[in-house]
Amino acid sequence: MALNPMEQFEVKPLIEQPLLHIAGHPIFFTNQALLMIIVTVASALFLTFAMSRRALVPSRTQSMAEMSYEFVAGMLNSAAGEDGLKFFPFVFTIFMFVLFSNFFGMIPGSFTVTSQIAVTFALASLVILTVIVVGFAKHGIGFLRLFVPHAPLPLLFLLVPIELISFLTRPISLSVRLFANMLAGHTMLAVFGGFVVLLGGAGGILSVLSLAPMALIVAIMLLELLVAFLQAYVFAILTCIYLNEALHLHDHH
Amino acid sequence: MAETPSTSETTGAPGGHEPAGFPPFKTETFPSQFFWLAVTFAFLFVVLWRVAGPRIAGTISARRGQINADLGSAQAARGDADAANGAYQTALAGAKARAQALAEANRKTITDEIDRAKAAADAKAQEDVAKAETRIAEMRVAARAEVSRAASDAAVQIVARLTGETVGTDDAAAAVRSVTGN
Repeated sequence: MALNPMEQFEVKPLIEQPLLHIAGHPIFFTNQALLMIIVTVASALFLTFAMSRRALVPSRTQSMAEMSYEFVAGMLNSAAGEDGLKFFPFVFTIFMFVLFSNFFGMIPGSFTVTSQIAVTFALASLVILTVIVVGFAKHGIGFLRLFVPHAPLPLLFLLVPIELISFLTRPISLSVRLFANMLAGHTMLAVFGGFVVLLGGAGGILSVLSLAPMALIVAIMLLELLVAFLQAYVFAILTCIYLNEALHLHDHH
Repeated sequence: MAETPSTSETTGAPGGHEPAGFPPFKTETFPSQFFWLAVTFAFLFVVLWRVAGPRIAGTISARRGQINADLGSAQAARGDADAANGAYQTALAGAKARAQALAEANRKTITDEIDRAKAAADAKAQEDVAKAETRIAEMRVAARAEVSRAASDAAVQIVARLTGETVGTDDAAAAVRSVTGN
């Protein structure tokens, strides 16, 4: 059933026997695990070996590695300021992980790691947990002022619950945004791919008609490449913004 | 395909029937997903934190340092060039002034020499003129004396021819003098 557009999101064990059990849950080596390993090793190799010459005049790969470094550093610096830079490795890892996951998912026949709500939600929870830990470590109980905006007292009865809800829904919005974007894009590609197969197999004039969804797939592919980068960027910049709130509350930037 | 029923049931393994349900919401895959995410994310974090990040940061800051050092040495070289140019201009102006002074001195000596020579020539010419004038005056006096004697001689002769009388030369001279007025 290659025509089922949801089949590509199936997490399947590549080795039938579970590798180990954690608290009674079997851990399998899955197609997703393989892609995660490829993604992390590829980005680690890219960022390490592109810099192996440490040339003053960089090669193309080296300047790409430097560009991604300076891109994330600039993002973090402008969103969270100088003291935000100590979270650089964390934000850089998130950005590279999501970016490479999205891009490797674009390869036909591979698996999109970020199309799984479990993965995106785990990443988003990691971000929010970091924000909470940093916030309480820096401001103590004063971190709760984050939920009290500067407003007249009667309005606070309305605003504090809103702030609380918006904070608590952050892990959901952060994770669902990435997950839904990846899922929708890849589903759309699979659906149009199914049209191509069906029309092409029908024979006659319908085979010629199959070129239309084919062209559409090419266009959507380009769009999806943009979305792949954009979603990694959005995830990273929101991480920066949330970290900034933890560091500076609402006071200053 | 010797798979146990429990495996295909819990993981939705491929093979027989298409597993029902929305794949990302199959909670039985979550433990594996969380496990591998934790392992790979931690791996990437450590690599970027300990290896790649410092390496890239080092290269970028080394380049920035190199550029700044190069800019500094270029600035210094420009300062040196400016100083050399200044020194050259000063030396040039000094040489020019010296040359001018030398030329001026030369001109002065030459003018002086010319003036001296002119003065000497003038003096000699004046002297010559004076000498010549003296001679002319002498010659004039002599000529005048000659003319007077000739006139008195002529007068003596004329008187002798006309009257037959002999007139003394002194008388003739006096007569001539009374006529000419000197």
